[in-house]
Amino acid sequence: MPNNIFVVLRIIVATLFIITGAEKLISPYQNFLAVVQSYELLNKPLEEFVAKIFPWLEFFLGVFLLLGLWLKIALRLLLVLIASFIGTVGQAMIRHLPIHDCGCFGDLISFPLWVTLVLDCVLWIAVWTFLRRIQQTSQFSLDNYYYRG
Amino acid sequence: MSKLSKSLSTLIIILICVSFIYIVKAFLNSKKGHKAESISLGRVKGNPQAALRVTEYIDFQCPACAEGSRVLRENFKNYPNKIYLELKYFPLSSHKHGFISARYAECAGRQGKFWPFHDFLIDRQPQWSTLEDAKPAFQQMAKELNLDARKLDACVQDQNVEKIILVDKDKGTSLGIQRTPTYFINGNMVVGVKSLKEELTTHLSPQSN
Repeated sequence: MPNNIFVVLRIIVATLFIITGAEKLISPYQNFLAVVQSYELLNKPLEEFVAKIFPWLEFFLGVFLLLGLWLKIALRLLLVLIASFIGTVGQAMIRHLPIHDCGCFGDLISFPLWVTLVLDCVLWIAVWTFLRRIQQTSQFSLDNYYYRG
Repeated sequence: MSKLSKSLSTLIIILICVSFIYIVKAFLNSKKGHKAESISLGRVKGNPQAALRVTEYIDFQCPACAEGSRVLRENFKNYPNKIYLELKYFPLSSHKHGFISARYAECAGRQGKFWPFHDFLIDRQPQWSTLEDAKPAFQQMAKELNLDARKLDACVQDQNVEKIILVDKDKGTSLGIQRTPTYFINGNMVVGVKSLKEELTTHLSPQSN
């Protein structure tokens, strides 16, 4: 059993991304497209691109984080992904867009925008800390397994 | 272990994950369409022979649903023979009056006034949706439409009315609906008013004929 807090947190954050990504992938993509459209940030082709690609990105980054495979790359990409969430939610709050549910967790949980912003900031700090403490975070990881091999 | 085997295992993991997602999706899709459907002729309008067939899943308390209904109404005015619309209930648990408004609409339909009552619900949504108890507002609409108040009250209490609404919602959930308004335009799922407008423009613009 992992006895270091970074590994436990890594597994929790990874599970979160796997579940939210899988939920969006399994349900019709039009649901997430409507969420993307509600932020009024992109043009139509980009909205469709984001609605199709982001759930896969969330899901795979979660899987790679869980397994500890290509960990540094996965963590850096997660930082960019979460930063994009923070920017998107932040601009929606500044513009007072009528969004009552962030849509970030599909149909699983519903949060108002300010809660989402706080959660995203916490997640960003967690991932940034994982990257800073990569030695501890990468315990019980496939990266370590291959490194030792 | 060599770098190649790490790349190979990465590829295998990706393939397993993609297969998993598609298998679950295929399994869920195979369960679609096996649910019972409520059939109410009162909740359809337009030309049954129209090339454009729209099924609308709606929560009467949802502001975007009201906007979507106004968009559809406008298109009915402009293209009266080109659309066939069927309405289905999808009251959200987050909306206090979502379910009861659907009950009143269904019961108004039993007295032949579904669409006029629907229009009242949509047009007066900002007023009744903020009320603690919206029943008096619905009863007032019924009065203005000359509905039989006694029959209406009995109908609203009827368990079968609740079942009809739940059958619609159950069907919608099995189709993957998570938010309202959701439309099926000639069978294709469309979520939200922006996509609805785009689809209607595509299907109804003069160039599409």
